[in-house]
Amino acid sequence: MSEFQSHALVLAQQSTGLPWLNEAKQACADQWQTEKWPTRKTEAWRYTSLQSLESTLWTLPSDAALDALPDELMALDAIRVVFVNGHFSSQFSSELPASLTLFSQASDAEQQAILAKFNQVAKVEKHLFSQLNTAALGEGVFLNLRANQRLEKPVYVVHIHTGSGASDYVGSRLLLSLETSAEAVVIEHFVTLSDASPMFNAVTEVDLGENAKLKHYRISMESEQALHLGSVHAALHANSQLTGFTLATGSRLKRIDYHVRHLGSGADLDLQGIYLPKYNQRVDYHTNVEHCVPHCTTNEVFRGVISDTAKAVFNGRIHIHQDAQKTLAEMSNRNLLTSNRAEINTKPELEIYADDVKCAHGATISQLNDESLFYLVSRGISEAEARVMLSFGFVNELVENIAIDEIKEWLRPRMAKAFGQSDDVVRHLIHDESID
Amino acid sequence: MFVSDTMLKINDLCAKVEDKEILRQLNLEVKPGEIHAIMGPNGAGKSTLGNVLSGRPGYEATAGHVEFKGQDLLDMDPEIRAREGLFLAFQYPVEIPGVSNMELLKASVDARRAHAGLEEYSAIEFMKMAREACKTVNLDQSFLKRGVNEGFSGGEKKRNEIMQMMLLEPSLCILDETDSGLDIDALQVVASGVNAMRSADRSFIVVTHYQRLLDYIVPDYVHVLANGRIVKSGDKSLALELEAKGYSWLENEAV
Amino acid sequence: MSEQVESLIRKEYSAGFHTNIESETLPPGLNEDVIRFISAKKNEPQWMLDWRLKAFKIWQGMEEPEWAHVKYPKIDFQSISYFSAPKSLADRPKSLDEVDPDLIETYNKLGIPLHEQEMLAGVAVDAVFDSVSVVTTFRGKLEEAGVIFCPISEAVHKYPELIKKYIGSVVPQRDNYYSALNSAVFSDGSFVYIPKGVRCPMELSTYFRINEMNTGQFERTLIIADEGSHVSYLEGCTAPQRDENQLHAAVVELVALDNAEIKYSTVQNWYPGDEQGKGGIYNFVTKRGICHTRAKISWTQVETGSAVTWKYPSCILKGDHSIGEFYSVALTNNYQQADTGTKMIHLGKHTKSTIISKGISAGKSQNAYRGLVRMGPTAEGARNYTQCDSLLIGDRCGAHTFPYIESAHPSAVVEHEATTSKVSDDQLFLCQQRGLDAEKAVSMIVNGFCREVFKQLPMEFAVEAGKLLEVSLEGSVG
Ligand SMILES: Nc1ncnc2c1ncn2[C@@H]1O[C@H](COP(=O)(O)OP(=O)(O)O)[C@@H](O)[C@H]1O
Ligand SMILES: [Mg+2]
Repeated sequence: MSEFQSHALVLAQQSTGLPWLNEAKQACADQWQTEKWPTRKTEAWRYTSLQSLESTLWTLPSDAALDALPDELMALDAIRVVFVNGHFSSQFSSELPASLTLFSQASDAEQQAILAKFNQVAKVEKHLFSQLNTAALGEGVFLNLRANQRLEKPVYVVHIHTGSGASDYVGSRLLLSLETSAEAVVIEHFVTLSDASPMFNAVTEVDLGENAKLKHYRISMESEQALHLGSVHAALHANSQLTGFTLATGSRLKRIDYHVRHLGSGADLDLQGIYLPKYNQRVDYHTNVEHCVPHCTTNEVFRGVISDTAKAVFNGRIHIHQDAQKTLAEMSNRNLLTSNRAEINTKPELEIYADDVKCAHGATISQLNDESLFYLVSRGISEAEARVMLSFGFVNELVENIAIDEIKEWLRPRMAKAFGQSDDVVRHLIHDESID
Repeated sequence: MFVSDTMLKINDLCAKVEDKEILRQLNLEVKPGEIHAIMGPNGAGKSTLGNVLSGRPGYEATAGHVEFKGQDLLDMDPEIRAREGLFLAFQYPVEIPGVSNMELLKASVDARRAHAGLEEYSAIEFMKMAREACKTVNLDQSFLKRGVNEGFSGGEKKRNEIMQMMLLEPSLCILDETDSGLDIDALQVVASGVNAMRSADRSFIVVTHYQRLLDYIVPDYVHVLANGRIVKSGDKSLALELEAKGYSWLENEAV
Repeated sequence: MSEQVESLIRKEYSAGFHTNIESETLPPGLNEDVIRFISAKKNEPQWMLDWRLKAFKIWQGMEEPEWAHVKYPKIDFQSISYFSAPKSLADRPKSLDEVDPDLIETYNKLGIPLHEQEMLAGVAVDAVFDSVSVVTTFRGKLEEAGVIFCPISEAVHKYPELIKKYIGSVVPQRDNYYSALNSAVFSDGSFVYIPKGVRCPMELSTYFRINEMNTGQFERTLIIADEGSHVSYLEGCTAPQRDENQLHAAVVELVALDNAEIKYSTVQNWYPGDEQGKGGIYNFVTKRGICHTRAKISWTQVETGSAVTWKYPSCILKGDHSIGEFYSVALTNNYQQADTGTKMIHLGKHTKSTIISKGISAGKSQNAYRGLVRMGPTAEGARNYTQCDSLLIGDRCGAHTFPYIESAHPSAVVEHEATTSKVSDDQLFLCQQRGLDAEKAVSMIVNGFCREVFKQLPMEFAVEAGKLLEVSLEGSVG
């Protein structure tokens, strides 16, 4: 056990809530201790060092008062579930419908329902930080949709960190269970209000019954000094549909894992991701899609723009099991490097044990196309602005696919700003949206 | 040369695809030198007939008998049927990337000739013939080098089928909607290819939806295939009648 | 007897080492004395022995790699004999009549000439067949051009400066477990030196085919193309090769100095084991080349043999404007396993690499492409294009792609594409409808799938390679 591993157990000791989950928490604490700490030789951590996390003694922050919700949030007509420093804020949250429960407020029956699902989709033995997440769990959200139930409004889960704590550990857990033909839209949004350097450890479990449909958006735009370890685990049963979108701007360390398993024929996954690290930031996406049964489809598209001395990692794996005939799976990863010292490591993997499948992956790394740049400049646009426009366009193609207009409109100017330092340079991008 | 006075004799042929009965006691006789047109509504079983005759896996003859040049056709492997001279111009020719058209042509012509106890053409001799055939169907010679049907347009695929037919010199040619999707010029190319090949010991079964092809390739007989069997036969005038009236007036006869 | 051998014998004696230096084979086991014995047998100078011993020390401190996508029982390195002289004539078959008829049938299918068949099957022929005079002619031509082409054991004596300078310079002893082992115990192999500005007057292939026998299981090859020179080298042959030694761990080092070009083609068809997966060679090879300014190294491989293949011919593109290429066909059938690919390390400016990999899996085999493309921080304007295609034949096999792509320069451009497909029923039927039988149809489609790679092979080998695929796929269609 590394020093960090034993220190981190303090978090587990501090988190004394949810006694009915103690068994699972203890099991994960035990596993966490025996886990071999990753080094550069550990394949899953080949390109990302955990050093920036190891040097801190993490503690659970106390609840903090907030005068108002930050402007940063999306203006959405949604069921809002707000957490401040990991603590539920009833003040800023909507009234929760019956299908939505906090772990801490779960009735006996709901506790049983949670226990039946908890860590069933997430394979914690394969996800180091899901173990810590479980061991130190203090609160969670459970969405439980019965057959044919549809949520009228999206669920907007907001995680806010505030204060100057340099060692705040903010854990969170989202358990989404959609039974046959249920439908929902869920947005997760991570926000920091200061330049502090908290560590988010967020785990989402998704269990989609037959024909169920979930649109899931995960926006991680914290401060530069933040650390973020996140994972989304999904099980897709027959004819279910998961539409996932994930955006991560850079920070000191961001590692986000998606592990999706197709368990019923006709299941469909559409996963789009964007990463935009700059300065000295790190973003590391690992996705693992397993096709366990025939006739499922996966379409995965990730794009990144890496600037300054930032570094990004994309490791996408598609695994077609022996019985998964007639699989259609495609994965594409494209990267733009915009500075001399930026770095990208990408590893699109296919592991295929069935013959009657169509699988393809593609990856590209390049810089902005000179010809397009010149075209814009020749139309009188400054080179700086042209660069921003093109970088923005590169990832905006994915934003355009988002089905919910409010999210799209909220994202566009923020992404544009992520590229251009001055408003002057991004003004067309932001204004343009009102025109088209 | 074969001596039988029938090219193809289909008796009460029944066939199914994926447990679905498609052909139901279909009868048809084609004599050497004849051209038979088969028309009929979508899904009637026209392509199925071509597929069963050529032995495509998945298309199972469940009853009946087919004689091809005096032999039991259903008993033969698909490649033997081809070597015996049965040619199917596919409705949707598949692409085979990497395998050049030329390579496939040479291999199939070699196989057919070896089967007949004839000597292979030399590479040079064959190349000449292939170029000639290209010209006839108005395909650029570069198509010989390209992958089989790879990236060909719809019309190019169809012309490519006709080119293969010309080189293979089959005894029975089944053309499955070879005219669909062709412009007038291409249609004439296909038709003149077929007409040039007409001879006393070669027969054609032409599946089409359009009477206009039959202006160029004049059939001896026209049949209507509906619900898995031939419901009406006649001469060229039947095609005109169909064009005017559609198929619905025949529907009853199909049951 | 040389001084070294004498001193060795003395040492052996004192160490209680009883192997007779006159003996032709060593008992199984690996220790320093074995390495001294091998070195003494070859009458090597002290520096060569020291180099081997150093490698041995390194090897002892290493662990057998486990990351490859292959499974095989753990190798007991102490149960292997590290030196065996060629079989004596008396032990060999007297004529082809005494050779396994299956093998002869395969030779015939591949169209291998009779005298080569005899040689490949190890028939004890008096060395009078045509090829000897062919060899002499070749030698003359090569000498005229100033090309050095000899066993590496001979080069150690004749060209010690070149060997000292370059051996281990591309594949260091400690590079990996098997390269360390090879460096300690390498048996023999080829040494090639092409002088400045010389275009090697012939493909170093036919000659090699005849002389490569018995280079042993730890082959070591070093090719140096001096400035502005050019050479094309072909290793292996399509005929299935049998060998009593199950483990093969070769090392190949290529040095292309400024403006030089090396084309290295391999056809590997070691015994793959039987249909049940019994027996078969483990082929763990380290191949790497370094390109100086405007130099070019091109690897082409057709891999159909071996039970387990572990092989990544690589290029270090050190010089500006240098070029690396990798064209590969890897076919696995029955229970074969292959984990193969390449590494393209771009260091120089405007360096270019192309990777075309075609994997074909049939039967119950596993076939993995593993590749690394690295654009270093100095690789301004570098480019890579990778195309990685897998073809599956049957539903019990596996096809895998593990590309590692790393870029640290914004002006470097990397494009990677991978696809997986099978021979479709429709394609098969179209061929059958045109009169081809299923086996011919599959082999034609597979050959088409490999076309881009075969184009890179010398003409006569491209034809043989095509036939080889056909033979290797036999029984996989049905
Ligand atoms: N491979 C197949 N699998 C399932 N159904 C098929 C297949 N081929 C043909 N059919 C069905 O058989 C019927 C006849 O089809 P087809 O012979 O193609 O008709 P036509 O060529 O006359 O339009 C249709 O209902 C069609 O859907
Ligand atoms: Mg049809």
